[in-house]
Amino acid sequence: MTLAFDPTTGLVSPLVHGLFQGSAYGLLGLGLVLLYKSNRIFNFAQGEFAGVAALVAYLFDTGSKGLPKVPYAVAILLGVAAAVLVALLTERLVVRPMFHRPRVVLLVGTVGVALFLIAVEGLVYQDIAALRPIDQALSIDPIFTRLDRVPVLWSDLAKLIMLLALAAAAFLFFRLSRMGTAILAVSQDATAARAVGISVERTSMLAWGLAGLTGGIAGVLLAVPPFSTTPGIFTGTILTTAFAAAVVGGITSLPGAFVGGVLVGLVQEFASADLPLVPGLGSIRGGGELAVAIVLLGILLVRPKGLLGSET
Amino acid sequence: MTAEASLAHHARPGTPVASWVGRVIVWLGLGYLVLLLPGAIGGEASLDASQAAIYVLIGLSLHILIGYTGQISLGHQAFVGTGSLVAANVVSTGTSHAAEPVHFGLSLVAAAAAAAAAAVVLGAVALRITGLYLALVTLVFGSVAANAIFSISSLNGHEAGVTALRPASLVTDYRFYLFCLLLIVLVMYVDIQLGKSKTGRALAALQENELVAQAFAVNVMKFKLIAFALSGAFAGLAGALYTYRVQSFSDKNFSGTPGFNLALIFVVMVVVGGLGSRAGVVVASAFFGLIDVLLDLAAKHTFMAQYYSDHKQYVSGLIGALLLLQTVILNPGGLGQVVDPVARWLRGGRFSLHGHGPTSGSRAADVRA
Repeated sequence: MTLAFDPTTGLVSPLVHGLFQGSAYGLLGLGLVLLYKSNRIFNFAQGEFAGVAALVAYLFDTGSKGLPKVPYAVAILLGVAAAVLVALLTERLVVRPMFHRPRVVLLVGTVGVALFLIAVEGLVYQDIAALRPIDQALSIDPIFTRLDRVPVLWSDLAKLIMLLALAAAAFLFFRLSRMGTAILAVSQDATAARAVGISVERTSMLAWGLAGLTGGIAGVLLAVPPFSTTPGIFTGTILTTAFAAAVVGGITSLPGAFVGGVLVGLVQEFASADLPLVPGLGSIRGGGELAVAIVLLGILLVRPKGLLGSET
Repeated sequence: MTAEASLAHHARPGTPVASWVGRVIVWLGLGYLVLLLPGAIGGEASLDASQAAIYVLIGLSLHILIGYTGQISLGHQAFVGTGSLVAANVVSTGTSHAAEPVHFGLSLVAAAAAAAAAAVVLGAVALRITGLYLALVTLVFGSVAANAIFSISSLNGHEAGVTALRPASLVTDYRFYLFCLLLIVLVMYVDIQLGKSKTGRALAALQENELVAQAFAVNVMKFKLIAFALSGAFAGLAGALYTYRVQSFSDKNFSGTPGFNLALIFVVMVVVGGLGSRAGVVVASAFFGLIDVLLDLAAKHTFMAQYYSDHKQYVSGLIGALLLLQTVILNPGGLGQVVDPVARWLRGGRFSLHGHGPTSGSRAADVRA
């Protein structure tokens, strides 16, 4: 969502759009952080967990491809459930056989999963699968409020609220629950964790299931117009920036996924808004992405553990 | 029985004459397939074959980077694109007349140099950041920084593309294809010689254990940068050929989603080919360069033809994904495990699937985390 600088709305427009675009990065980044925290792995398939959820929810909501048409809420739930199922299958069929291989090889394995899911999505349904946003399903006014004439949409607000809620819930899960602590123990030392009676296999399943859950929720929230949801679009357009956001915020920090996501979203929108402060930057196509890349490199060189991260 | 005799007994060589006849037949068959068949088929065949040749160059280039530094690059399309862009702009013949041979040669050198320079910049970052984080940096570099460069409108022909006609001597597609083969031979020669040189041994030492290599006074920084530069140069060369194959440069091939897809295909073909196996990488790269043509052929005569032509990119994507997954999960040596013994046999060695070549699967696991 690149907008030219509009003097009538001033800085509010990039601020609002950056905040909501950033929550999209944060939502995907949350799943990346979850898996890095628990498995020390960069999950390249996270974007397609979202893609699968969006597609399944769309197919059930519209009743296409011979599927029964179900109520909106059920379609959303089915979509998220499909993402969790795909994540669990990924763990069982791809990650577990490679558990003791180098992490970069595992990364290539998740690239394979992403490519596989993109292909399957495309073979099933290759047109735009734009999900109805929540306001349409409830038939209410799509605009929640206006900030200085910039409309704030319900569907955007839902992303931000859900991101905050998920980040907080996941943070508390790792802090307070026994399962969360067990996942962290396995991530630090799998052998020692096994010795005190933690099932490495079950914690791994749990971590991937949670990643599928956050990915699925991200998918059904993000796949609304004007974002044109086609197979592979999450991997192609959001995932890279979500990785950057997760690393900037701190790849081991769940609040960091939120902070990094919003920060990267803001940097991107301000850099591409062609503000008078930085003449010419907005006229480069992809100036926003360039600014994000510079921020990422700066963070990696100066503070590799990220803004809120506790370790690299 | 002496040790020597016992070895000879275990080797059990076939009758020399018969096995050499077999080798010659296979050599001739390969030679026909690679050198003559594309010309004999005519039509688009030479263009398709040069696509395969260009992919082989890219595969070799990426293999140098992954093989010697143990680092995955998810942004290799940026180097290829840089080469493609530079070559087109150096020659920039317009649509009317063919390139002067001198300019053509110059554009190849400039493409290689520019991509090598870009790779050295990335390599300098790689000296500080390793493993997963470097994979991420290459990903961002490829999809973001390169996008910004390719979008400079005076370099991409104001979004309409830059025309770069081939020189008169390469004007037929078949001749151009032979020229691509020539460059592959050149690159492979440099690659093989590199492996034998002091630089190659230093790089091999780095690959085994960076700290030990450093203790033996191997200059880690210098040799890592050499590997990056060489890989970038070859990718740039491939990029120049990419331009000349269709005789124009379009930034849309290398930026956005198509560029991202290219980057992933490049990684897939090297991993499927087998890290540490040059022959495996060559075969896998050629396969992925030709995959659309092969699928077209396969689908033409089946009842799936209509469905296939509607879902083309997803069918080839599915095949690539399945090949990649089966390689990383079940068969880390990749195609090299099959291709290497054949290549060894063709060079006059003994055929054995349990050989002791560079691919016993162990090097594939040496990609560092």
